[in-house]
Amino acid sequence: MAAPLLQLDKATIRFGGLTAVNSVDFTVGEDELVGLIGPNGAGKTTVFNLMTGVYQPTDGTITFNGTPIAGLRVNEIVDLGIARTFQNIRLFGSLSVFDNVRVACNLHRATSPIQALIRGKSFRADEAAITKRAEELLDIFNLRRFRDAPSKSLPYGEQRRLEIVRCLATKPKLLLLDEPAAGMNPTEKIELVRLIQQVQKQFNLSILLVEHSMKVVMGVCQRIAVLDYGVKIAEGNPAQIQSDKKVIEAYLGEDHQTALSHH
Amino acid sequence: MSLRFPPSPNSRHGTFRIRVYPCPSVVKNSGSPTIPVPRPHLYLLAALLVALGISQFSDRIDPYFLDVIIGIGINIILAVSLNLVNGYTGQFSLGHAGFMSVGAYLAAAVSLFLGPKILGEAGGTALQQGLMFLAALVAGGLGAAFAGLIVGVPSLRLKGDYLALVTLGFGEIIRVVFQNVEFLGGALGLNGIPAYTTIFWVLAFVALSVFVVTCLVHSTYGRGFLATHDDEIASESVGLNTTRYKIVAFVIGAFFAGTAGGLYGHFKMTITPTGFDFTKSIEIVVMVILGGMGNTLGVILAAILLTLLPELLRPIAEYRMIIYSLMLIILMLVRPQGLFNFKFGKAKL
Repeated sequence: MAAPLLQLDKATIRFGGLTAVNSVDFTVGEDELVGLIGPNGAGKTTVFNLMTGVYQPTDGTITFNGTPIAGLRVNEIVDLGIARTFQNIRLFGSLSVFDNVRVACNLHRATSPIQALIRGKSFRADEAAITKRAEELLDIFNLRRFRDAPSKSLPYGEQRRLEIVRCLATKPKLLLLDEPAAGMNPTEKIELVRLIQQVQKQFNLSILLVEHSMKVVMGVCQRIAVLDYGVKIAEGNPAQIQSDKKVIEAYLGEDHQTALSHH
Repeated sequence: MSLRFPPSPNSRHGTFRIRVYPCPSVVKNSGSPTIPVPRPHLYLLAALLVALGISQFSDRIDPYFLDVIIGIGINIILAVSLNLVNGYTGQFSLGHAGFMSVGAYLAAAVSLFLGPKILGEAGGTALQQGLMFLAALVAGGLGAAFAGLIVGVPSLRLKGDYLALVTLGFGEIIRVVFQNVEFLGGALGLNGIPAYTTIFWVLAFVALSVFVVTCLVHSTYGRGFLATHDDEIASESVGLNTTRYKIVAFVIGAFFAGTAGGLYGHFKMTITPTGFDFTKSIEIVVMVILGGMGNTLGVILAAILLTLLPELLRPIAEYRMIIYSLMLIILMLVRPQGLFNFKFGKAKL
């Protein structure tokens, strides 16, 4: 098997006396859809922050596409091909929907900033290409109708979608989704599952999903890893995870075995 | 979206019609331009020509009026450039007068010390003087930009109040330095600076600063300034180097503050360190806030208003500053979003 796209090797981070993530081994392969679950405070978001360069691991290494990402700035890691969404949506509120996507296209801008002043032919061609690309992305996700509206005026579900579109504009190889179903009703969750599958197929990328909603995780992930107190306690396909005693105990408490099968 | 109520007699569809989100295929491609100002260079060129035209008639303009116009122009340059930092990029800098003084001193030094050597005793022709002045202004701007880089690199990791304090400290340090450098006149400042500043130069640099800021902000690259302002963490996570954006904004802002300083020095013909203290910085910040942060047109109008106001209040001499301050307080209470914070045309920002 080829080397995985993302590899965590004994990744550990300590905050003072607290070991938030303890020696976690974890991989995401090409075109894979992986879920990362765990009870509140299990360290899921901390793992996310390690992968995106917000935190540096105290021990262990994280490699992406063969490159160790330790010491890189957040934006440099995005440049390598990891894009993320946020648990509490972080759009550029005062910018329009279109500009939110356009800003993310900066990573693949062909002309230098000076060109913005010279405004030569190459600059105009570049701006036109970026506009086209951003509008195409908005079209795919049915957001074109909001093109010039301020992003903060969008309905909640659309804001989630726009955040994913913005990620896709950076042309990622791996998309990290941090609790995308948070605050969604059942219908919206079904929409979301469909959206995630569509994104993965259409853009040929790997997705790592951190999620609380069993409905979403079990419905969409090929493989699931479970964290508890910063330690990986289980990994496997949805069926295996559903029947894993350790997971059920840690994640749902002892008497809730039915909850998992009830999704 | 259209909403008709009560039903118009002509309506064929009965009572009223609500269409909220038109389906995308129905919406025509608006074809809205990527570049809001299609040929910005033409505007710049036109502005320069207008400046040149006006300067031909400057002899006939009332000298007091001309002085006021020049003062307004210098303040516009300062406010527009600070707006890139405080408005668009959302960093709170209180050191703009500091950068202005660096430019003022450097430009004055070039004209005073290098000028006679290059132009000779006779003073050279008008064209030579003009070029000399341009060189002095650019030198002043570059010096201020360099100062901006030196201050910006370490301090732009800080946010909000902290950055304000650091830039405030910088402004004060610069003032004290100029006060104590004998070579630059010490506390007395520099005198006898040639009066090169004309209405043409002021208008030209106003046009240039507006051009640069507008062109930058209305580009894919420049949207990064606004994104940095909105959410730094999100900006980083879409691949923007926010530190670099902040430094670029800071350096460009400092450059134009420097040229404004150069214009100011060659206009007043004398500069003293106390002329660039932190009340001057505050004055520029007020223009930016009053104009509506991140709104170039509003900031220009605010700069005009706030320069004119003290002049208009001159007849009531001693109450002048009281009324000026009171008006500021009232304006801030009534329109905290900025006096001129409106959007014109299609939402372009």
